[in-house]
Amino acid sequence: MFRGCHKIGQQCGAAGARTSRRRKSRCVFAVRLALSTAACLLAGAIHARTAYAYIGPGAGFVFVGSFLVLLVTFVLVLFSLLTWPVRCVARAFRRRKAKRRHQDVGRVVILGLDGLKPELAERLMDEGELPNLARLREHGTFARLNTTYPSISPVAWSSFQTGANPGRHNIFDFLSRDASTYMPVLSSVEMGKVDRSLSLGPYSIPLGKPSIRPMRKSKPFWHILGEHGVSSCILRVPVTFPPEKYRGVMLSGMCVPDLIGTQGSFVAYTTRDDIRIEHEGGAVVRVERNGNVVNAELTGPEDFLKKRGGRLSVPLKVVIDGDGASAQLNVADQSLKLTKGRHSDWIRIRFSAGLGMSVSGVCKFLLVEANPHFTLYVTPINIDPDRPALPISHPFVYSSYLAKLLGTFSTLGLAEDTWALSEGVIDEAAFLEQCYTFHDERERMFFNALGRTGEDVCVCVFDTTDRIQHMFWRYLDKSHPANRGKDIEQHAGAITDLYRRMDGLVGRTLDRLGKRDVLIVMSDHGFQPFSRGVNVNSWLHQNGYLALKDGAEESGEWFSSVDWTRTKAYAMGLGGLYVNQKGREAQGIVPDGDEKRLLKEELIARLSGLKDTGGNRTGITQVWDSADLYAGPYRENAPDLIIGYGAGYRASWDSVTGKVGAPVFEDNKMCWGGDHCIDPRLVPGVLFSNRRIDPGENPNIMDIAPTVLAAFGIEKPGYMDGKPLEFERESGD
Amino acid sequence: MAGAKIRIDKDLLKRATRCAEIAGYSSTEEFITHLIERELSKLEQSGDPDEKVKERLRGLGYI
Repeated sequence: MFRGCHKIGQQCGAAGARTSRRRKSRCVFAVRLALSTAACLLAGAIHARTAYAYIGPGAGFVFVGSFLVLLVTFVLVLFSLLTWPVRCVARAFRRRKAKRRHQDVGRVVILGLDGLKPELAERLMDEGELPNLARLREHGTFARLNTTYPSISPVAWSSFQTGANPGRHNIFDFLSRDASTYMPVLSSVEMGKVDRSLSLGPYSIPLGKPSIRPMRKSKPFWHILGEHGVSSCILRVPVTFPPEKYRGVMLSGMCVPDLIGTQGSFVAYTTRDDIRIEHEGGAVVRVERNGNVVNAELTGPEDFLKKRGGRLSVPLKVVIDGDGASAQLNVADQSLKLTKGRHSDWIRIRFSAGLGMSVSGVCKFLLVEANPHFTLYVTPINIDPDRPALPISHPFVYSSYLAKLLGTFSTLGLAEDTWALSEGVIDEAAFLEQCYTFHDERERMFFNALGRTGEDVCVCVFDTTDRIQHMFWRYLDKSHPANRGKDIEQHAGAITDLYRRMDGLVGRTLDRLGKRDVLIVMSDHGFQPFSRGVNVNSWLHQNGYLALKDGAEESGEWFSSVDWTRTKAYAMGLGGLYVNQKGREAQGIVPDGDEKRLLKEELIARLSGLKDTGGNRTGITQVWDSADLYAGPYRENAPDLIIGYGAGYRASWDSVTGKVGAPVFEDNKMCWGGDHCIDPRLVPGVLFSNRRIDPGENPNIMDIAPTVLAAFGIEKPGYMDGKPLEFERESGD
Repeated sequence: MAGAKIRIDKDLLKRATRCAEIAGYSSTEEFITHLIERELSKLEQSGDPDEKVKERLRGLGYI
């Protein structure tokens, strides 16, 4: 319960006047959203034939008849408008029945700055670089926020949402494994297939929609708020795809795929013949230049409308200007000028599939070089927010509303193209431009939500802090192995600049809050350098726990040469180690019971405290039995052991993807030089608030959900592991 | 999420609700869904070829 408050920022008028303005604002938003929907439908009817489709490798397209969608949606909008007065009354009645919120609380606003590191924030505050965060520290709260085991964003943000440990929400890593195939799967969402199709000449028309199921279980706190008549605006919180129905609006975040169905695949067209074709996170296409003209095809999603399959594509033509400083790009019936070194605006690409059906994506183009060699980089093709091919918002028109109001924006879950930078396709300046462009888009939608929708709770997560720290951490340590042969001066201030900009965002947020509004600024984890990789699979092989097929001395990715009939344990993902358990894994050999228990104890004893080559530094500080970490119905889905890497270490790039090689320890030479998928005790996040929290508390990210519920007088449900944080009463109150 | 409705015995529902709370589910629906998913996973095979599965992870910066 809130028992007092501290004043921060400007006094913003009487609470009653603000409440009245918010109710009016909410009504205006609802009408605007409905009218936007109608406008979308009308535009769709005129230009027609944009299909609601599912995109994904192996899952195919489903094209619901456009007219049917238009008709049904129009009827729903009309029904919504006509019944709006009745629903308003019903809502007001339900609100009166709901427990009164604490009188000290207006709105609750949560600003998530993914990966903000408390030690760095503290130092910069002490140096006067972060005045707004410093004011929160002085007049409100600044504390470490303990994170999840493991300290990985999808796990931590799922615990944030549900107030529960991973054993109750079922997210233990970015990846989980299919025990029947030993192959990785994305842990947060399961994409189904369409079973039936109609054969029509060269076409195979899918009948029905494939399922897209969220794998995060339990219940986000905004659902509970909604059950008590409290509405929320939830923007880009990780692991909210597909969006679920509840009282409020939502834009899905991390794990939304691109139009191809991946987590973000770039393409680069080049005349160079000295760079690799196959790249992690994208592809390089060799093109030929005829004078100053380059012709190519921009490849889109799979074509499952046609029996022959293949990929949809549109022609692309670049005419390079004489001096090479710019070029004219023609793509998808659009023509635009590209300036070398600068990303274009978002360009809408419509891929036509036949039968009048098309699917729309958006991407940006960057002319990397023109003379003597030509290279054109294209961002991953994002799902078009104005015509989404997948459900990425709730209600489904919300993304379209935002796009029409604020302009096109990135919808990809991990929007910032770290692989393009890692592979040298773009440089640091271009990457930073991308990051801050996407950040500005997010800020506009956040302030729109804060100012226009009048929701009771507003949550917005900014990923910029995480991405830039991953890619620029090497600049903080000249001896980082990723620095060999690279510049270490030009962007040495990138992270400090990042923290300054986030501080500015906090200041702008405070300017928009009222006296009774509660602000929480938080991060899901901190950061440490990632200088050395640990290949746990190589260690398992060298120590007799993992066997390779006869004659093999190493294995390619995803355990391609592993002999499961002689393997007792394997590591997959960023923090997990699995026992090859009989009756669970397809070729499991370790029986459940004492043998499994003894194996786990042995691995914990041997891996905890594992020293790096040379014996000076600790690669793995601790390994935990997941049975000791987690409680809840999904505990059985967790890896058997959770690995806590030491500061400076992480699972190696090869280990994560199931490669087995010779070295257990090796330098990390990738630009991705900072990370947090390590011992969670080493990477707590931050908790700032404009309210003062009792310093005796030991706040955990699971505490945020019950704290928000408590602000609205709602008792936390029994399954929540977190506790509501207590706020001190101001002296004299 | 939208879906079909099924009828179950009142007493069974009561017992399920009690067990859901003890086991740490957020709702009875979640408990029943999980039970069905667990049984289905024993019977169903993963239908996607390996290449398609791997493709879905492409571009994930952490791996």
